[in-house]
Amino acid sequence: MSATAQNGLQKYIPGLILCMILGWSALQWDYSMNGWQKNFKECQKILKANAEHKSPLPFDEYKAKPAEKYKEQLLLYKQGTLKKEPKKPHILKQDIYESLIATWEIPFKFKFGNKMLEFQLTYVAILLLGGMLIRNTIGIPDSFKPGTVLARPIIKPGIVLLGGYYVWSNLFKVGLVALLLVVIFILGTVVLVSVIGRKLKLDEGLLGVMAAGTGVCGVSAAVAVAPIVKSKPRDFFYAVGTILLFGTLALFTFPYIGKALGMSEPVFGAWVGTSILNTAQLVAAASWYGHDALLTANIINIVRVGFIPIVVLYCIWFYLVRTAAAEGRSEKMNTWQVIVDKFPLFIFGFFVMVTLNEFGVFTKDHQYIFGKQFLKIFFAIGFAGVGLNIAFDDLKKAGGKAFVIGLFAATFKAVLSAIVVILLGTDVFQVK
Amino acid sequence: MEEETREFEEKAKKVFSAERKEDMWVLIMSAITVILGLAGIITKNTFPSLFF
Repeated sequence: MSATAQNGLQKYIPGLILCMILGWSALQWDYSMNGWQKNFKECQKILKANAEHKSPLPFDEYKAKPAEKYKEQLLLYKQGTLKKEPKKPHILKQDIYESLIATWEIPFKFKFGNKMLEFQLTYVAILLLGGMLIRNTIGIPDSFKPGTVLARPIIKPGIVLLGGYYVWSNLFKVGLVALLLVVIFILGTVVLVSVIGRKLKLDEGLLGVMAAGTGVCGVSAAVAVAPIVKSKPRDFFYAVGTILLFGTLALFTFPYIGKALGMSEPVFGAWVGTSILNTAQLVAAASWYGHDALLTANIINIVRVGFIPIVVLYCIWFYLVRTAAAEGRSEKMNTWQVIVDKFPLFIFGFFVMVTLNEFGVFTKDHQYIFGKQFLKIFFAIGFAGVGLNIAFDDLKKAGGKAFVIGLFAATFKAVLSAIVVILLGTDVFQVK
Repeated sequence: MEEETREFEEKAKKVFSAERKEDMWVLIMSAITVILGLAGIITKNTFPSLFF
């Protein structure tokens, strides 16, 4: 390896290590809070039984009873009498159980864990809020920045691994609705921004970048379209700042709006899938809400990023071919080359995972390991990168006409898509 | 202005080719995880063993 290449790789190491340390710390927090919340609920059950004047059982009996019930239910599930697989019972450790029946008081840390998760302070929130706080208060040294930027796409292997959770029928069921939503809301936004912007005689370059950015996939689409529509550098950075600002606002507010509106996890997944502009922010918001929200949002996101080449083609046609024809010139469009150049490759990995699952390669344990455990490791490192890269200075770059177009497009899409997904309901978006 | 636009176009192209490379790494990382899982090297107990 040449010295330059080595230097190239070395510059990423400090930031990547920082993201790994933050990711691990947040997962440790999540692991502890989840354990404490489970203990809290079990303690509550025991206290409730006591309040109903049932005398407390000796530990061995307390431990054996739920285990026996679980075995019976598992047998019924295997025979096909029970439809839903029973969950393994959560049993308190002996010292905790004995201390509980001696004091009849739930330990503070269990109450704390329960409260934290009630406030949705999971590893996702810790990493995003913590990362943002670090970046905008004490800051991070320049030597760490390249690695934190590189950490963000580590979310993508998580998206690929999640493919092991689906079979093709799930994809077709939700994917067809997703396709409709993508066509209506995402392409609708692209067309609307382009047409209204032209009527208002706004700069073509700015419009092209904003149309792609607010419509399909945030910064990736804006980058793909910028050279085609010959956007001015200043307008491009305004547009990216605006897209990031809305994504950040949506990321921190949508989970709470979803809860306030009583959205189920699949409905919320569909909502963020259509209305949040950036893959990392979308995945973060959906993971924050719950695993079922993530399953639905992921399908919509896959359909959406698959649309990047189509949006680029549309922009070439709208801003170059059509304009050239109106001026009596001719501009050629190499459709196949655009599709090959702009198609996001990682989607293939996702489809391979779905196909392997369809053929029964993955057991339930594999699905759990890939789609719930290792997914969290990839997401945690990526979310640390996302949090550490939310710089208020970058968001301040949102401005000018880009801000007005962005405000209009993002608000319009978010409100309308919320109404549509709520009306369509949970069944339509439920993956399993 | 034209010079500025050309430089910017080059930058955008570089960003996109970096995304391509990034996707290749994504596929490699996913494949390694799946192979380790199928081979039984990472199990259900691996993840909890990383925490206290």
